[in-house]
Amino acid sequence: MRLSTLLTLPAALLPLIYAKEQHSYTEHLHLKPLPDNSLYAGFTFTSTTPYTAYASNHFRYFPRSLAQILQYTHTAELHLRFALGRWDEESWGSRPRRGSREGGNGVELWAWMDADAEEGWSDLVNSLSGLFCASLNFVDSGKTTRPVLSFEPEGTLEELQETRNGTGELRLLHGMLPHEVVCTENLTPFLKLLPCKGKAGISSLLDGHKLFDANWQTMAVDVRPICSTGGDCILEIQQTVDMVLDIERSMRPRESPIPRPLPIKDITCDETKGYNGHDTCYPEGPGGEMGWSLSSVFGRPIRGSCALGGGEEEEGFDITLKVPSERTVEVISETAIPQSTSSGSRAYRLPKDANFDLDLPHQALESSSSGAFALEQPPLYASRQLTGHGAERGGMHTLLRNPHPYAQRIVYLESLPWFLRPYMHTLELSGAGGKMEKMFYTPLLDRQRGTHLELLIEIQPRSTVEITYDFEKAILRYTEYPPDANRGFDIPAAVIRVLPNNATQDQGQGRDYYLRTTSLLLPLPTPDFSMPYNVIILTSTVIALGFGSIFNLLVRSFVLVEEVPVGALAGVVWRLKDGVARVRGMLKGGGVGKEDDGGGVVKKGEVVVGGEVRKVNGGGGGGGKKDT
Amino acid sequence: MNRWADGKACQLHYPLYIGLTWDDYDISPVQDLASQVQSLLRAENDLSLYDFYIIADTTTAETSQRAKLSGPGAGGELGEYRGHALSVNVITDPSTKSTSASLRTWRPVLDVRHNPERSVDSATLAPFIASEIRKIYEHENDAISHLLRDTPFTTSGQVEALSPEVKSSLDARRTRAFKYAATYHLTFSLFTSSASPSAWEAEQALEDSIRPLLDRFSSISEFTVDTQVQLLASFSPSIAGPQYDESTREWKLQRTDLSGFVNAAEWPLNPGIGSGPTINFVLFVPSEDQSPLVLAETGGNSWLIPQWGGVQILNPSGKQSEKLSAADLRPVMLTFADQLSALLGLPDSPASPSLRISSLVRERATSLVLSASSTLGALARLSLKLTSIAIPDSVAKSVDETILRLDQACHDLRDGRYHRALENARTAEGEAEQAFFEPSMVGQVYFPEEHKVAVYVPLLGPMAVPLVMAALKEFRKLRATKAKVA
Repeated sequence: MRLSTLLTLPAALLPLIYAKEQHSYTEHLHLKPLPDNSLYAGFTFTSTTPYTAYASNHFRYFPRSLAQILQYTHTAELHLRFALGRWDEESWGSRPRRGSREGGNGVELWAWMDADAEEGWSDLVNSLSGLFCASLNFVDSGKTTRPVLSFEPEGTLEELQETRNGTGELRLLHGMLPHEVVCTENLTPFLKLLPCKGKAGISSLLDGHKLFDANWQTMAVDVRPICSTGGDCILEIQQTVDMVLDIERSMRPRESPIPRPLPIKDITCDETKGYNGHDTCYPEGPGGEMGWSLSSVFGRPIRGSCALGGGEEEEGFDITLKVPSERTVEVISETAIPQSTSSGSRAYRLPKDANFDLDLPHQALESSSSGAFALEQPPLYASRQLTGHGAERGGMHTLLRNPHPYAQRIVYLESLPWFLRPYMHTLELSGAGGKMEKMFYTPLLDRQRGTHLELLIEIQPRSTVEITYDFEKAILRYTEYPPDANRGFDIPAAVIRVLPNNATQDQGQGRDYYLRTTSLLLPLPTPDFSMPYNVIILTSTVIALGFGSIFNLLVRSFVLVEEVPVGALAGVVWRLKDGVARVRGMLKGGGVGKEDDGGGVVKKGEVVVGGEVRKVNGGGGGGGKKDT
Repeated sequence: MNRWADGKACQLHYPLYIGLTWDDYDISPVQDLASQVQSLLRAENDLSLYDFYIIADTTTAETSQRAKLSGPGAGGELGEYRGHALSVNVITDPSTKSTSASLRTWRPVLDVRHNPERSVDSATLAPFIASEIRKIYEHENDAISHLLRDTPFTTSGQVEALSPEVKSSLDARRTRAFKYAATYHLTFSLFTSSASPSAWEAEQALEDSIRPLLDRFSSISEFTVDTQVQLLASFSPSIAGPQYDESTREWKLQRTDLSGFVNAAEWPLNPGIGSGPTINFVLFVPSEDQSPLVLAETGGNSWLIPQWGGVQILNPSGKQSEKLSAADLRPVMLTFADQLSALLGLPDSPASPSLRISSLVRERATSLVLSASSTLGALARLSLKLTSIAIPDSVAKSVDETILRLDQACHDLRDGRYHRALENARTAEGEAEQAFFEPSMVGQVYFPEEHKVAVYVPLLGPMAVPLVMAALKEFRKLRATKAKVA
């Protein structure tokens, strides 16, 4: 069984189950060890409320704080993502949940809203910004796009509009904030939305220290309406947290997190390597599967279950662990745990008020069995880079590779900030098997709107397509630069939607697959930020100099040296200098005394005259009566 | 602006039109009685804020007769329909021993039972009615006098000194109540410290107990209601928590803990979106091992947090059920209803709720007029003090609107149209606040002259040096020539 199908199956069944029990809450944890000592953990929390209760403001499991925002802004369907890190497709294979619950690096938000969408959108981002402690309020019109092909509603929006007698068409708006750093302050409000608030059930494993230490993690909030044919609607909120933990790193003790080398006697040397001397050792890897337990990886065991729905839903299992059947798994709990084991996966139900822990000791598995757990190949590989040099121009280069023996159609969405100005005539699709079928393009407006570019491309079997275009970098206004302007500007990730086709539908994977490239860092020409102060000082100095000289030219009168009378102060200075010269003469010795006296007098005269002249020009202090 | 701030623009007076009916008399003795009562009421100086107009109304008598016949529902609009603040209904009843008066609960009607055969009663009828009316408006008069105290709207002799007890009770009522708003958001939350009960029939219970009260208030404000259930709620770490009392086998919550009982950091009680304050009502169900939980001093289970909401503890009954039924919630909701009236500032007397609400309308309108005027005064002082502040057009427009609305409110008050006065005063208050807190003006305040100096000093400093030196020189020269002349 594949990871993705396992996850899509319950999601597809959910509406059928909840049609009966309308106020409901379920949670599920999916664990799967990945190669290189990584562990994938996928948390899913689903609550529903009848639409009538939502409309009349009576909430049970559905969070009231979020519902108020949705009502106030007339949002029909909402998707919010917080993501950090990169899913390593080369070593971890296909994305969990077919990429439908992850976002680009930072924060991503898209929603279907009622007709007066512009104002509602601004209210929505501001309210969500307050609720999730994120800078979502910076998603302004310049960062908002209206994609056409990339997203489709997950809920039954048309039926909902009929039930609500809504006439206006719902509009999709999409915004990304790649610069946002997702951290603990976003997790706390996320947990507050859950009925058990991280105090019981699988959410008790979620701890900011471990979650944000993961190699890749994404938090998602998805609200969608589900209407049955009879016109009964329910509103479903699904909160998911997906992460890939490095087992070794998460198991390090918190008090001394720096890894230290083992003592030499504990290290086994790799004997297959050639040694030149006896004092060297190539340490051998531990081999086999690394040992781990829930409490060591997540820092604490699960504190009881959060089963709220009543008797009917207790059939479901809370935890699914996907390991080969010969892997030893010990359940540590005070009470008996109902569990089921099928080939390749084990399921557990959490005890009511007791701790629960899973322990998987270190074990060497036969290679044949791990072969059965070969990673699923993703439908598409994608990477995106900036090219070019200099502060004026640059280029974008995207590489899409279809590894499968059938052709695939994809939608490629770019939303670029306004200060990156693409030259659309340079847009080029090169490579053997690419064909552009459709293009949607909204040109940018400076400071008001970014570029929206959507391409529908068909990629031939086993071929690679390159999308390239050039762009110009805009020069920003002085106040538009962030404090860390020299770090560069984040360019949001490109969203790629792989449309389902006949070949994949045959394999039971009817739904879209989403992937996002990494976000990029664009260096823009930055000015010297001390410039205004330099300018003020420099111009002031120049003006003051000019003013001083002209003023003196106007005010002073110029006289010959001989006409200058010796002022009181000049006399004092003269006498002082005379004294100094005499003392100096005495120190040098009596032989030259006479000559010095005469020379001294002459010098005094010169000094005084020079001083007077300088003073006249400079306008400084000194003898006040010299220009009578 | 200053006329309002100084209280010169409006003389606050409250005309009260009181209808008088006497069921089996002709128009003339009723008019006699009316004029007697009116002169009696005006002769006394203690209700100086009011102008009483007693109107003998024979048509009302017919209406009320009909109302009596057709049942209680038909005459519901009696007072409001006639524009009367109160209707006095004198009923001749030979069976009564002495004259008695009673207020109807949901209508502003005072029924006076009177026995005409006893001549003593006939003579004292007018003073009796006057004293009854005075009793009804005494409390409101105190409250409004208290509002007007220490404001420029007080005129000498109009407001008499209040006793300290009355004053403190009025103060308590005022600190408890929310500021007046056009819309209030009511949030009813069930917090349980364990995982059950996880549901409550709040919708039904609210419909039964809270909705009638809200309908009464609907002439003053609008209300939105929402409910939520929050599980696994823990106490805030800042409070000591309940202590077990061996003797009574109860968990006692100390008085000092009550202020920190609501765990603001963890309990999701965020205010509603949109304008208007949120009033929170919290029902807390303690866990099995911490129940029964009571307040240490009174043994009660509910308390009110001024200008925030109400808290109530519901100890789980013997059988732990998943769901609280509407019947379980009935007493809870009645307590919440009491707390809500207190939080909205409803006065404690007179006995009839409809009279209390109309007296609340007058109080609120008065306090809004006062607050809008004082905001105007503050804005005027501010603009005089900070001369460099730039006042945008929007502020000027708001001030104009405020003054216009205040004038209208004043007229409405004097004419006895209290609901319209409230509406106008509310708009005036809103506009005044908007003018005072205009964001662009706040920004101006924080760019004082000193900052400009910092920019100009590098330019002016070097330029000043030759100027100063030349000035000194000229000064010396002048002195020297003077000395020479002398």
